[in-house]
Amino acid sequence: MIDVIVIGAGPAGLAGAIACAEYGLKVTVIDEFVRPGGRLIGQLHQEPSGEWWNGVKESTRLHNEAQKRSVDIRCGVSVYNLEKDKDFWNVHTNTGTLIAPYVLVATGAAEFPIPVPGWTLPGVMSIGAAQVMTNVHRVEVGKKGIIIGANLLAFAILNELQLAGINVEHIVLPEKSPLSQNAGKPEEVLKSLLNAAHLAPSPILRFSSRFMKNRGFRKLGMKFYPKSGVKVNGTPLQLRKAALEILGKDQVEGVLTADIDANGNVVKGTEKIYEADFVCIAGGLYPLAELTVVAGCPFQYVPELGGHVPLHSEKMETPLEGLFVAGNITGIESGKIAIAQGTTAGISIAKYAGKGSTDITKKLEQALRNVHTVRQNAAIQFNPEIANGRRKVYELWDDLYGKEQDSLQEIG
Amino acid sequence: MSNNEALVICRCEEVTYGQVFATAKEHQCTSRELKLRTRAGMGFCGGRTCRVMVDRIIESIVPNTGEGEIPLKYQPPIRPVTFGTAGDNNG
Repeated sequence: MIDVIVIGAGPAGLAGAIACAEYGLKVTVIDEFVRPGGRLIGQLHQEPSGEWWNGVKESTRLHNEAQKRSVDIRCGVSVYNLEKDKDFWNVHTNTGTLIAPYVLVATGAAEFPIPVPGWTLPGVMSIGAAQVMTNVHRVEVGKKGIIIGANLLAFAILNELQLAGINVEHIVLPEKSPLSQNAGKPEEVLKSLLNAAHLAPSPILRFSSRFMKNRGFRKLGMKFYPKSGVKVNGTPLQLRKAALEILGKDQVEGVLTADIDANGNVVKGTEKIYEADFVCIAGGLYPLAELTVVAGCPFQYVPELGGHVPLHSEKMETPLEGLFVAGNITGIESGKIAIAQGTTAGISIAKYAGKGSTDITKKLEQALRNVHTVRQNAAIQFNPEIANGRRKVYELWDDLYGKEQDSLQEIG
Repeated sequence: MSNNEALVICRCEEVTYGQVFATAKEHQCTSRELKLRTRAGMGFCGGRTCRVMVDRIIESIVPNTGEGEIPLKYQPPIRPVTFGTAGDNNG
């Protein structure tokens, strides 16, 4: 008999499994990759404090902790359907169906690309794929690279590529279009980067961020933004260049670029080819929520959280009994927050299962507070409005389910 | 965008920007209808790669879309599986 099935062995899933197991629940974790850790195993960066965040180390710590508590971890298993059958959740996988009264869905996020002419050529990959190849598989993605798309995910991974000795020569924008939306407009890109100025990749951006928050200054700043770009750890960030086409016969040979104005319009006659043997497209991340959809969970569109998220409470419960969520499926944030949310979800599940003594409520409150603390101290914040997005979801939850919850608690 | 007619949007089903854009324009439809008409998002990956782009094309053509509900439906199996697996013949 399994008490809890955790889908996803990333930071949220492992932390959730550990918390459940601490309360004596029997936990099985499944993950489609060959090893546990999720996206943690690709992460490596230095915090503003000077400390290093080593995702591999962190995932090993979580994995060991889970094993110590006899959590059953099964890798290489894909879940293709999730449905409730009377009192039990049926988790249908490629190796058979598992059943349990509680399920924690911690499937993380997915990357979306911005299609650019030529993007199906070998040598073009998403920025996340470059991270996995470099830090997980230890494969050199190429000798000379170009990143299309300027966002925090791109900068974080650029840094990792550089640490691995991989040469990225330019960061340019995708061409403005209905597909690239704001990612193709220099002024909008600058605005989004400045919102995260405390971790801006360049001292110039950090220095100028206060002035640049004013739209007039920003326009002016964009006008005088150097054509050759501002260096991000040695790689020029060229906010006034767009990638028009990825060139190559059998594989990537270069990128056709052109100058663009502050609104992203191409300046005719400025076309220039940059040589390259690999190209990374950095579109962005969205919550990978497909399993909660097929399970029948209601959704809400919250742009600050990265798109559509399953409705959930701060305690990580969904409106469907026994179904919990944690990590990036609830909104795009860093791995540290995913861990804190996973712990919250695990304690929540234990509480629902009637585990722990009277102090479990206190433990749950502690876990909730911890999520806030970790968020406030987070070095990487993918969306500056994340706290607002969170509040929206919790308020909606209270409106829709708050009362029902209270009465349940009274009965319990 | 300059050179986009033949730009592939859905890699699994090889549907181009030109096809998706023209269909959306002609039918002023939902993402779901666009998917059913063009097969963009109906391939092996289950639309994980192109769904955001299909939604964006609709948003750019049909006013007041997006926002609330999930525009493109998800259906099991959400991962490619054999008929045997889906039929519970795991042996």
